[in-house]
Amino acid sequence: MNREMSGSQKFWQIVASVAIIVYTVVPLLWILNMSLKSTADRADGKFWAHNPTLENYQLIFTGGAKDLFLPALRNSIVVAIAATLIAVILATFCAYAIARLDFPGKRLILGTALTVSFFPVISLVTPLFDLWRRIHLFDTIPGLILPYLVLTLPLSIWTLSAFFQQIPWEMEQAAQVDGATSWEAFRKVIVPLAAPGVFTTAIIAFFTAWNDFVFAMSLTSDHARTVPAALAFFTGASQFESPTGAICAAGVVVTIPVVLLVLFFQRQIVSGLTSGAVKG
Amino acid sequence: MRPRRTRALKPLLGGCLLALAVSGLTGCGGDAGGTDTLTWFINPDGGGASPTGGGQAQLAAECSEASGGAYTIQVEQLPNEATDQREQLVRRLAANDSGVDIMSLDPVVVPEFAEAGYLVDVPEQYIEDFTDDRVQGSLDASQWNDTFVAAPFWANTQLLWYRKSVAAEAGLDMTKPVTFEQIIEAAQATDTDFAVQARRYEGYTVLINALVAGAGGSIVQNEGASAEDTQLGLDTPEGKRAAEIIQELAGSGAVGPALSSMNETNALNMFQDEETSGFMLNWLYVYAAMKENDLSFLDDIAWTTYPRVDADKPAAPPFGGIELGVNTASRNKDKAWQAISCITSAEHQKEYMLGTGNAASRSSVFDDPQIQEQFPMADVFRESLNQAVQRPRTSYYGDLSTAVQRTWSPPEQVDPNRTPAESTELIMKVLRGEALL
Amino acid sequence: MSTRTVENHLSDRARDERRLGWRLAGPAFVIMILVTFYPILQAVYTSLFKYRLTDPDQREFVFLRNYGIILTDPLWWRAFGTTTLITVVTVVVELVLGFAIALAMEKVIYGRGLLRTIVLIPYSIITVVSAFSWFYAFATDTGFVDPLLNKLSFGLFPADFDWFGGFWSAMVPICISEIWKTTPFMSLLLLAGLTQIDSAMEEAAVVDGATWGERLRKVILPNMKSQIMVALLFRTLDAFRIFDNIFIMTAGSHDTSSLSLVAYNQTISRTEVGLGSAVSVLLFCCVVIIAMIFVKGFRVDLAGGRK
Repeated sequence: MNREMSGSQKFWQIVASVAIIVYTVVPLLWILNMSLKSTADRADGKFWAHNPTLENYQLIFTGGAKDLFLPALRNSIVVAIAATLIAVILATFCAYAIARLDFPGKRLILGTALTVSFFPVISLVTPLFDLWRRIHLFDTIPGLILPYLVLTLPLSIWTLSAFFQQIPWEMEQAAQVDGATSWEAFRKVIVPLAAPGVFTTAIIAFFTAWNDFVFAMSLTSDHARTVPAALAFFTGASQFESPTGAICAAGVVVTIPVVLLVLFFQRQIVSGLTSGAVKG
Repeated sequence: MRPRRTRALKPLLGGCLLALAVSGLTGCGGDAGGTDTLTWFINPDGGGASPTGGGQAQLAAECSEASGGAYTIQVEQLPNEATDQREQLVRRLAANDSGVDIMSLDPVVVPEFAEAGYLVDVPEQYIEDFTDDRVQGSLDASQWNDTFVAAPFWANTQLLWYRKSVAAEAGLDMTKPVTFEQIIEAAQATDTDFAVQARRYEGYTVLINALVAGAGGSIVQNEGASAEDTQLGLDTPEGKRAAEIIQELAGSGAVGPALSSMNETNALNMFQDEETSGFMLNWLYVYAAMKENDLSFLDDIAWTTYPRVDADKPAAPPFGGIELGVNTASRNKDKAWQAISCITSAEHQKEYMLGTGNAASRSSVFDDPQIQEQFPMADVFRESLNQAVQRPRTSYYGDLSTAVQRTWSPPEQVDPNRTPAESTELIMKVLRGEALL
Repeated sequence: MSTRTVENHLSDRARDERRLGWRLAGPAFVIMILVTFYPILQAVYTSLFKYRLTDPDQREFVFLRNYGIILTDPLWWRAFGTTTLITVVTVVVELVLGFAIALAMEKVIYGRGLLRTIVLIPYSIITVVSAFSWFYAFATDTGFVDPLLNKLSFGLFPADFDWFGGFWSAMVPICISEIWKTTPFMSLLLLAGLTQIDSAMEEAAVVDGATWGERLRKVILPNMKSQIMVALLFRTLDAFRIFDNIFIMTAGSHDTSSLSLVAYNQTISRTEVGLGSAVSVLLFCCVVIIAMIFVKGFRVDLAGGRK
């Protein structure tokens, strides 16, 4: 890619970049500004918060909404991380086997993963609720982690098996010819090649678990309630007041960790997804 | 070389299982608390979770204190909307969650919860305490099949709020009962607005029910009947009369620009607009809100009982408020009733009314000089509470209300010849589980 | 049995591979089965009953009647139409927009890192948060969209237009929020496809004098067909199950209910779990049909990794 860029190419590239950036950040800036507006300014119809105040953040961290928000934040973190780790570890083995090994039932596994990822989450909710209330998993952390695997596992299996197909298996075969077993070849040759893909998958799985709304809303009530569900049931000061400020502030707070993840690991996420990890 | 492979794999798998097990343990740790901690699910009342906010949380703190260590009441807040509150509670109750002891219940969920066996009957020794000195509306709301299943806590109804100058200009004598039609005409004549609630939400059912009842009918004619045997009173002269009033309201040009998006807050905002403010149907809280907003024409505002549908029939003000119930799965039922007895004492009801503007269910509280001073409408309000009519009492209330809202929306398209019949058909289908909602 | 022949040696290796295959893939498979097998069967079973959670005594076996009720109910078909509309609109827009963004991400030289970072952000944000942001942006009281459009149109556009007051206008913020949130997923998958195209092939096409459009049609698109199809498959299935945005923005008023919302309303709000399970099963069938169309019709195949 050492072609010279013409002036107009440069211009259009800049226009395209700016357009994409504006498109992406406007809703973010908007909710940030909303969270900084006081109750009086909220309906001023302006984009920017002209008299920024932290009162909404006080409300969720130390004020009236603290008991709704802080436990939900903790639950979200615990559940999302657990569901991600379990899914990625299991999916790595599974995807390797599917992409690499010849064994009967491969299609069955992929088909199952596909079916599971098809199944509308809402359809799982009623039977799970019924079972959970009988075995006392309702409104517990594991009661959420298990169904979250429904979201993260198939996604991880598919992403990873697509990813593993890009890996040059000749290297593994070469290792096997050199006397290594399948397992050794897997560990010594493939794992380093696959690591970026696994990492990307972990981040995607984390985002998926972090994002869930339906399970959290239906299978919890307050002990295990995560942030998205808590947001939907935030209460205003009274029955006739809406909790807009608290929702926006809480929305900003839960956005910070994912933005940090993206900022720190952007290179890994993108290179994991784009390079196929093997071109060099 | 083969066996090595297996060994290498095992620790990893073990790790996953361990992770599952560990997360299982931490999750189960949530059910902490001693035997004398009572959890009270409260609806938002302006006091939040603060023990000094003047709301239910403050009552909880005070009663915990007064119990001398017998129990501590911990509050959990329910969502804003009555339908969301019900949903939250149903999920927990259906899960036999012993983490719910006391519940603040909207009157409309009492039959459903009682029928499903989620509510404990009020023990004999408390019945006198909970029924003595109560307004009729809250006594009605606390029973199901002639058994007390909840304790009356606070009581609400709507008043007709109006501007004295507007009524005078229209020549309306507000000392006598007025009808909906008179108000519509007065608003038209004075070019002012009559603010009511007709968005597709619970508040619209409140209005429709009050109209049917005001015409002398009732939406459900045989309360307590099973879903199949329910007889509806909508496709009747009374139901048609209610539809007529909605039609007149919608076509009057005196209900503001967007009748179909009016809720309590919109209605209050409209009534606070000096240019067009004339009449409004709304709950008690609006008075405190208007005072707080330093409304310039506060002196011009007055109130009277809910309007009549027909001049010769008594008005049927809607009943609202909160009853307190005890969960069947609670492990502290005795202490829960003790706590409820403390929460609903005359002293606490007065304190709660002063703190939140939510009116007492005890009649005597309204005679209190402090109450009389802060709520100049106390006498009218108490009288209304005694006349107040319940919304349909059926264990299928939620479905029924949604079906009513669906068929009567938007109000501009209500037709007395069609709407009540269509509404009846949909409700019956819904009750029989033969239609989606 | 253990005569040492070349064939037996080979099949020994194959057996070995088989065992390893199941050892590696087994745990994930078992968990998937456990957490979905029970619920799926239970949903099918429950759908044959008239069963209300708060009225368990009235539970009654009705066989397929729930399905009949649903399929003859206009509400189901309206929700079906709404869901299909949202799916088609959002997926098409996302494909075009996602492809444009993927191209930009690949070609842009200045600020490429910034661009890639920023594009990842909507994808990472919680749908509910995005829904609230767009909801407040379009709301008549708190929003900036109405005042902005009013200003841009020199007052032609009403300053207090109620976006959530009608079906078509409510579709706008719902679709925008969905598109904003999920286009990055699409563009990242497409970018993965783009970068795998052999640049020599593209350079050769340039040397042959192919225009950009020809390169797109003849080189770029055919070479990333499988990525496009996978991206489309995932997004279509996902969009068809749309729930969060609608729940937050309109809660289904003005016929904006999606099929997932209909299922939620029956099972969670009404606690009519029999009817609700039937809705869930039907929704699942819709999704399976869509997937079949992709897998059989467009030959999307991820399993054939090692041919």
